[in-house]
Amino acid sequence: MAAFGTIARRGGGWLPVIGVTALVGTATTLALPTVLGHAVDAIVAGTGSERWLAWTAGLIALSVAVNLVDVYTGAICVADVTAWLRERLVRKILAVGHRGATRFDTGDLVSRVTGNAADAAQAGPSLVTVGTALVPPVGSLVLLALIDLWIAVAFLAGLALVALVLTAFTRRTSDVIGRYQQVQGRLATRLTESLAGARTIAAAGTTDLEERRILAPLPELHEHGSMTWRVLSRSGGQAALVGPLVQVVVLGTGGLALVAGRISAGELFAAGQYAAIGAGLGGLTGVLNRLARARAGVRRIGEVLAEPGMDYGRSAVPDGPGTVELRGVTVCLGDTRVLDDVHLTLPGGTEVALVGPTGAGKSVLAAVIARLMDPDAGVVTLDGVPLPELHHDALRAAVGVAFERPVLLGDTVGEAISAGRDAIGVDTVAVLGVATATRAHDFVSRLPDGYRTTLVDAPMSGGEAQRLGLARAWPARRLLVLDDATSSLDMVTEMQISRALSEHHGDRTRLVVTHRAAVAARADLVVWLVEGRVRAVGPHRRLWDDPAYRAVFQ
Amino acid sequence: MAALWRRPLASLAAWSVPETLPTMVSGLAIARALDRGFLAGRPLVGLGWLALLLAAAAISAVGARRVYLHLGDLVEPFRDDLVRRVVGGALRRAVAREPDDGAVARLTHQVEIVRDSYGGMILVLRNFLMLLVGAVVGLSSLAPVILLLVLPPFALGCALYVASLGLATAAQRAYIRSDERLATAAGTVLAGTRDVVACGGEEHATGMVTGPIRQSAAAERRLAGVGAVRTLCFAVGGWLPMVLVLAAGPWLLRRGLTAGAIVGGLTYVLSGLQPALSAVVQGMGGSGLRFVVTLGRILDASGSAPDSVTVPDSVTVPTGHAGLASNGRSPNGRAGGWLATGYELRALSLTFAYGPHAAPVLRRLDLTVPERDHLAVVGPSGIGKSTLANLLCGLARPDAGTVLLGGVPVRRLSADRLVATRVLIPQEAYVFAGTVWDNLTYLRPTATPAEVHLAVYAVGAHLLVTRLGGWRAELSPAELSAGERQLIGLVRAYLSPAPVAVLDEATCHLDPAAERRAEEAFAGRGGTLIVIAHRMSSALRARRVLVLDGVGAAVGDHDALMAHSPLYRELLGHWRGAADEGRVPSAVGRSDPPRLLRDADRLDPGTRPRLRDDPREVVADGAGAQIELGRDLLRRRAVRSEA
Repeated sequence: MAAFGTIARRGGGWLPVIGVTALVGTATTLALPTVLGHAVDAIVAGTGSERWLAWTAGLIALSVAVNLVDVYTGAICVADVTAWLRERLVRKILAVGHRGATRFDTGDLVSRVTGNAADAAQAGPSLVTVGTALVPPVGSLVLLALIDLWIAVAFLAGLALVALVLTAFTRRTSDVIGRYQQVQGRLATRLTESLAGARTIAAAGTTDLEERRILAPLPELHEHGSMTWRVLSRSGGQAALVGPLVQVVVLGTGGLALVAGRISAGELFAAGQYAAIGAGLGGLTGVLNRLARARAGVRRIGEVLAEPGMDYGRSAVPDGPGTVELRGVTVCLGDTRVLDDVHLTLPGGTEVALVGPTGAGKSVLAAVIARLMDPDAGVVTLDGVPLPELHHDALRAAVGVAFERPVLLGDTVGEAISAGRDAIGVDTVAVLGVATATRAHDFVSRLPDGYRTTLVDAPMSGGEAQRLGLARAWPARRLLVLDDATSSLDMVTEMQISRALSEHHGDRTRLVVTHRAAVAARADLVVWLVEGRVRAVGPHRRLWDDPAYRAVFQ
Repeated sequence: MAALWRRPLASLAAWSVPETLPTMVSGLAIARALDRGFLAGRPLVGLGWLALLLAAAAISAVGARRVYLHLGDLVEPFRDDLVRRVVGGALRRAVAREPDDGAVARLTHQVEIVRDSYGGMILVLRNFLMLLVGAVVGLSSLAPVILLLVLPPFALGCALYVASLGLATAAQRAYIRSDERLATAAGTVLAGTRDVVACGGEEHATGMVTGPIRQSAAAERRLAGVGAVRTLCFAVGGWLPMVLVLAAGPWLLRRGLTAGAIVGGLTYVLSGLQPALSAVVQGMGGSGLRFVVTLGRILDASGSAPDSVTVPDSVTVPTGHAGLASNGRSPNGRAGGWLATGYELRALSLTFAYGPHAAPVLRRLDLTVPERDHLAVVGPSGIGKSTLANLLCGLARPDAGTVLLGGVPVRRLSADRLVATRVLIPQEAYVFAGTVWDNLTYLRPTATPAEVHLAVYAVGAHLLVTRLGGWRAELSPAELSAGERQLIGLVRAYLSPAPVAVLDEATCHLDPAAERRAEEAFAGRGGTLIVIAHRMSSALRARRVLVLDGVGAAVGDHDALMAHSPLYRELLGHWRGAADEGRVPSAVGRSDPPRLLRDADRLDPGTRPRLRDDPREVVADGAGAQIELGRDLLRRRAVRSEA
């Protein structure tokens, strides 16, 4: 819960204001019945009513004023903290890198950034208001006791009843809502499946059948939904009885005190109001609910913030051919040991193919070599320098990665290639150069606005996206990692790109993850990975003698 | 729908009446208890009046129970209707190939917002009316003069609130919009975390999100201002009446009002008017606005999807398809006045572009696929192979030209007829949560176990079915790999009664051996097989090959294409050359890369059929001329290119 404190404190200057206004607001709420009672008595007595009237008006004005400030500052504080949390989350997720993507779904992360961050930002204000929300019932009790002890006892008995109703209600609702959400999740899953299979459904003409399949749990949802209303109806009925019951018991006890001459008519009125304040069910549940949501939000955010981020050093990349060395590299994702004590050297300036069956850990090895994630154990060096010691900009300028399914970012096709790097601006010769080398220029030039076409307006096939992804990684100076990055390209285009790769930038080290024998045959060296371990390293021609190696490509 | 609402609404209103009782009685009972009971020294009378208050509460509690139940009867059917709309709309849009990523969020998040706020809104309105009626009736029976004092400021407060609603709505809309923009930006960037890190664009990517984050915060601050305005409205409508009653107190007493009456009057303000106003100000401002905005969004997004795939006005033809194994031929039928004969596919001058400005991916393509043909479609990625599959299957409308299936325009065939004649297996296989059996027999629910067994074995999915636990096992799509999903989709298509099977890279996630087995199964299934090829080996197994190169198209058998299609030679050459590089001469020849020899005819003696001269084999070029792909044509083309 340390994070809860941090987030709560982030409210900073606003929190004292919120605290003070909440306290003053509570004080006016508590004082008002007494002052009103005095005013009533003064009116009945016919003397001094002006003074009490002035007090009343003053108190009401104060109450309105603090309420205004409270509402406003509370919202402002939450807005500021939310923005701060969201930015921090996004930075953290980006700093965690590839490992985070294996832990959290994108949709899940987005819901943390949008929804949970806003909930968590309530931490400070909700903590303050929980403190001050306790004051009215407690204060009412004290003030009731001051008016008359018996009234206070009657009130306490009433409060116990209120607490009973409250706990029963929360328990019942959380059960029912849990079941409701389960059914809802089933519906959502079915819809997701069908949307993914839309083309099959279109071809099979089974839209109506699918609709029935997805909606099959709907009656169950209806049933659980109705259950929530039954729970509400029970609790609502109890609340409708319990509130007035407490008030009547207090008033009855007070009436007897009035007959006995212990209190005045005004004090009886005040007692009734205090009872009403104390028995107010909604206020406390609302506040507790808000705190609970804030805590849940903080926990969800904390899970992301607790992930270890990648720190970068200050070193520049030393002169060298681009030799990559791995010593004892081990990576665990969840319970699986994806890479197991990998020792490997990629000689500078060579093209190395990385092959192996699906699930051998090729992509993870590529990610570790490009420092998209840090290994759990072992070290990766580039020309003798461990990757974590390299400066962020130096590392990313030296190492580039292209993926099988690149995610293109930016508004336009040009921005997707330059990816925010100042070195190559949009629409410059540099963009044109990399796009030509990766054969992306062919289809980009056919788009309505060329490189300024927005990504939304440029629906791309897998191969076209791959070419843009390649263009984005192309400027890397020392090491270029292609993680199955040409798998959707036809052989001709792949051949052309491969020619450009070795002709124009022969001095860079290239690591190519591939399933194609042709690519492996072209490489200077092949690394054969099986179940997270290096099975063999050597030229394709030599490895080809091994039937198990040939099976990789069959 | 309206009829569905009327009954629960009437019951709701009826059961709300008892709930006005406590408010109505409260001031009066307290006033009488004081004046005639406790102040008059008669405690029993006082307690009696208070008991009346309790009785009112008990009656109202019964009412409250019923009210919530009837509210459920209103809200739950409303939610059901919304869920149906969202699901139906999303599904039809997806089938019409209109991307729609918000559907699941609408189903879970937005529908729930509407459900909650709908119920909340009804409650708020009801509470407002209940409390107001209770307070007004009670006050007029206790002391009508107080009513005259408190109603004007209360009305003023309400009026101010209504006047501020425009401002509030605008702020709320801006807030929701900024929230959506933030979700979109965050979704884009977070989906690309790996890519952002890889090109060192963390700052740039953070910047893409911080803009919307700040806009969202600004919108939230604007909402804070709205909250302040609401507080002011409450001060005028809720607290001003109170001050007025007190100020008029001495004057009221002089007019003969009792102390009890004044206390009762104050009670009506505090427990009637104030809660009524705060219910509306807080309830309507929040949930009412959310209701309107979110419901509008759901209805917009789930509205009428375009009538997509098939043309409804066509005449349904009898589909007494006898099953493939028997003769592989579907019965003749009439459609829209046309006589549909068999299942020969013909594309006539087919043209298709993704948009009005885009260069067409298919230009005046002519193609004939006779019954029982085995055609492979090859070409560079993004050249329009999947589009061709969609057009041939009647899933997309060409910009020009026609597809004839059995001699009838494919888009004039009824949905039933279409489904009975052709089956399309896309790259992304559809697998749903359900039993293995249901997934396999999706396109042929009447299949017998023997037929399913045969199909599973033919396609090579028997190991998968065993691993999943047999036919009756429930399968969970998330636990299947892409290749396993494709196997399920292939078995399903194999079982389909349709004689024409179109595999659109449907085996791309299988390894080459599994791909070979699946394709051979389909080739031996009877009927027509069209394979959009992912690997060139698929082309070598086919009887004929269609080569698309973006400008023109060439169709023919392997030898003809080797002789006359440079692109085909290049595609095959690279593929074969690549394999040759991997080939190491060896004394025993054991390490020859299998099936990569020079003579195409030796490749797959089992499945590659003898070449045959088919006079219907045609080729189309960019100019749209339909020419016989005979030796003379190719000679002509060769001459032209030399010239």
